[in-house]
Formats: sequence, structure tokens, C-alpha cells
Amino acid sequence: MPREAEPSLNEKQFVTQALQENLRLDGREFDQYRPIELNFGDQHGVADVTLGKTRVLAKATAEVTVPYTDRPLDGIFTIATELSPMTSPSFEVNRPTETEVLLSRLLEKTVRRSGALDTESLCLVAGEKCWSVRVDVHVLAHDGNLMDAACLAVVAALRHFRKPDTSMAGGVLTVYTPAEREPVPLSWLHSPFCVTWSFFGEDEGEMAVLDATWLEEQVRVGSCTVSLNKHGEICQIAKLGGTPVDAVALLQCTSVALTKVKEFSDLVDRRLAEDLKRRDKGGFMAELRAENDR
Amino acid sequence: MATDLPLVLPGETIDATLIPSSQKHPLRLGPGLRHIPPSDIVPTAAGQLITNPVKNSMWIEYNSNRYTPSQGDIILAQILRSTGDFYLCTLSPHTAPATLPHLAFESATKKTRPVLQPGQLVASTGKADGLGPIGVSPGSPGGCVFDVSLGFARRLLMARSREEGGVGVLEMLGGEEGGGLAFETAVGRNGRVWVGSESARTVVVVGRALQETDRGGLGMEGQRRLVKKLVRDMR
Repeated sequence: MPREAEPSLNEKQFVTQALQENLRLDGREFDQYRPIELNFGDQHGVADVTLGKTRVLAKATAEVTVPYTDRPLDGIFTIATELSPMTSPSFEVNRPTETEVLLSRLLEKTVRRSGALDTESLCLVAGEKCWSVRVDVHVLAHDGNLMDAACLAVVAALRHFRKPDTSMAGGVLTVYTPAEREPVPLSWLHSPFCVTWSFFGEDEGEMAVLDATWLEEQVRVGSCTVSLNKHGEICQIAKLGGTPVDAVALLQCTSVALTKVKEFSDLVDRRLAEDLKRRDKGGFMAELRAENDR
Repeated sequence: MATDLPLVLPGETIDATLIPSSQKHPLRLGPGLRHIPPSDIVPTAAGQLITNPVKNSMWIEYNSNRYTPSQGDIILAQILRSTGDFYLCTLSPHTAPATLPHLAFESATKKTRPVLQPGQLVASTGKADGLGPIGVSPGSPGGCVFDVSLGFARRLLMARSREEGGVGVLEMLGGEEGGGLAFETAVGRNGRVWVGSESARTVVVVGRALQETDRGGLGMEGQRRLVKKLVRDMR
């Protein structure tokens, strides 16, 4: 397995030195994200997020399965994360690195454990049939801040996703094809987003930087990921190792994170509305025209 | 870059009139060309065919992603670790390390050889003669390295980079457009450019100017506008 290339001593020194002078290598402000791009695929449930040179693709799928015996009234919701060698030659298939494990754990905590998706609505027949919703996260290019990009992609994919409509009549479950009945969106309760702060410098949280690039991530002394929704409800805070950070600095970080999350939320809403408009050609009246195919 | 040069594709036959035919030297083929005996010359890469009638040589100028080491290239290597007689250095990520003998440094003997730490940068042509470690002596500015494409690094290294390579950002930044910024650079053919200056702000501006010129494929006018914008934002 080829090791990830370490930055040179000059780069390591310079990144910290420049930050002390309020400078970042790409000329951004400390609390400024790289340009975010969010695109949806032709299929429902495919979201492609580009954050500078980082690119993450998430795809949501659903199938009918048997629920877990200890949770007969709940559907199944899983998030699968994969860092393939395409991301960087240092990632190997079937050998999860620390980055990958942390990424999937944090996504799990942010999206699944915060109850963003109402799993009870996925139940079809108690104890017998339920929907299993699965989101696959593919990292296509890694230039730092995978966490925020991956979370945005997962939330956007799930909100864009439509599952086939079903009905129950006389104990018979029918799953309709998209031609028979329009697929229905998931019952989505709230949209949590991750905001990752990277800390630099000797002092406790002396310099906090948002959306670190890969070089900055290699140099940082600590990081903290805050997940919250646009109402300011915090789902989780992960501060895994690194240098200790002053509590007041952390509070300030969360309040800035809230403004960023509101921006993400607006971005997803706006892009979803645009996508709906693009798909809905002519609206309801065009659909009802006599000359259409039957 | 000059646009009147012929473009070739891999496997194409090269027009015989384009091949230099000097009697003084044997014909030399550079990167991207292959000699198939008895007398065929076939391009193996897509790019511009460049010929030098004086030296009786020809090669193809193209932008590849992976650096292929070749003799005499000036490169910026990064020390990986030291062994008994030589340093192991990385030229590009995820490739096998290159060796740089301890005694290859200028006037180095067994006793006076330079001691380099892992992660330090060395400018080298395979022998570090006349070149050497970059930005490590206590008083000098540490500077920073920026990654650029291989084609851009070659253009920067051309003797007349402004006319032939079409790269004028460095001159502009040091000249009147950039308000006479003071900085020094070292360009490696492996696609790394080191920029050093007393002020960190200058290093950032020069690095961004180089990277954005490379990524955007900017022409002279675009470079001038970029330099003006960067210098204005800096103040």
C-alpha cells in the first residue's frame, strides 16, 4: 500500500505561519467555504457535491425486506461509505482506514441517530415487510473536508429520493411501478449538516478555520465536527483527540456553524426546487393532454 | 505558447520536411517520440512537435500527469529519510523514491556532508551540485511549495519563458503591474514551484498567481488582469 505523501517541512511551517498573519494559501477568509456545487442526477436520489477539488457522490436506493426481529415496527436505514483507490492510491479496498471509519461513524451519528429519516414510516407490514433504504457514499476526489461534503451529499440525496408507492388491500401488499403511480418522497423530519472546524497554533484553539483543504488537514493540531440543523438543534459534536480547545472558542464555533448550516439548508432547498422545475415540463396540464401516450 | 507549431497524435506519420537534417550532429529524439528501425519516427504522445535545427533534435511538448524522471532535469525533491550513503527522496506522490548520494552536494566530504531532515526540500539535477537544500538556513525565508502541472513547470523553465512559454506572471508580479514584489522562486520539472519571500503575503499571492494561471490556461492579457486583481486584494 503506497503511503500518503507527507507535506514538506516548508509547507508545514508556512501554513501555520501564514495563518498567524490571517492568511490562507488559497486566499480565503478563515470562515469561508470553497465554492459549493450541488447537482442531482437523472435518477431520483443521486446527489453530487463538489467542494473545491473535493467531490462526493451519494446514491439512495430502496428495497422491500424483512424488518429486524427486535424492531418489527421500524424500517431499515443504512449509510455505506467507501473510500476507493480512485480517491487516493493510499486507500485500499476492504481495508478501512481511520478516515473511512470516522467518516461513516460521523455520518451515522449525524443523519441516522438524529432521527432525520422517520424509520417507522418505512414499515409496510409489522414484523413482515418493510423498506430498506440505503445510501452509498462514494468519494470521487479528496482535497480535504470530506465530512461536510459527504453529509451534504447524503442529506441532498435522501431528500431528492423517491420510493415506489405501495398500498395494502385485504392483506395484500402492492408495490407500484413509477408508470402506475408516481413514486413518493421519504418522510423527512429535519436536515442536519456537518460543519468541521480545524484548529491551528500552540494555544488552545488559537486559530479556527472552516473547510480545511487536504494540506491544511495534514498540518492541523485538532479538529471538531459540529452537526446541527437550521433550527440550531445540535445533533452531535465530535472532538476526537488533538489539542484541547477553549470552551468559549468552541461556543463561538457552534454559533458560526449555525449560519453556515442555514446557508447549506437554503442551497439544498433551492437546488431541489430547481430540479423539480426542470423535471416538471409544462406542469399538470401538459400531463393531462389528450395527445400524450397512454 | 506558439500556436504555429504542428500538432501530432500518437502513431501519426511525421511529415519528412519537419524532421531536422543537420549533418553535424546525429538526430536526437526527446520525450514523446520513438524510433522504430530502420527509419520511422513515431509520436507516442499527443502534443506539439518542436524541432531544434541547430542541435538537430526534436521532441513533443505535452502536458502529462505523471512525472517521468530523466537525466539532467532540475527537480524539487523531498527528503524521505537518510540511509548510510544516500538520501531517499520523493519526486512525486505514490511513486518509488529516488536516491541522492550524500557526497553529491557541492564540496561535500564524508565529514562535511549536509545533514537534512525528513521533509526538507532539495533542488537537484540528480547531483545536488551547485544546488541544494531550499529555505532551511535560519535567517532565510522558509517559503512554500506549490504544485503546478508538468507542462506549466516546463514553460516556466524555458530560457525565454515570456516569449516562448507564454508565462509572464512572475515578471509582472516583480514588475510594475505587481508593484515590485520581492520574492524568489525555484522551479522543479516534477511540477513543484518553491516561492520564498520575507513576507508571507507575497508568497501566497505569487503561489496563487502561478496556480490560477496554470489551471485557467490564461494568456498574457488574462495573466495581467489576474496579477492586478491579486495585488489589489492583497492591500
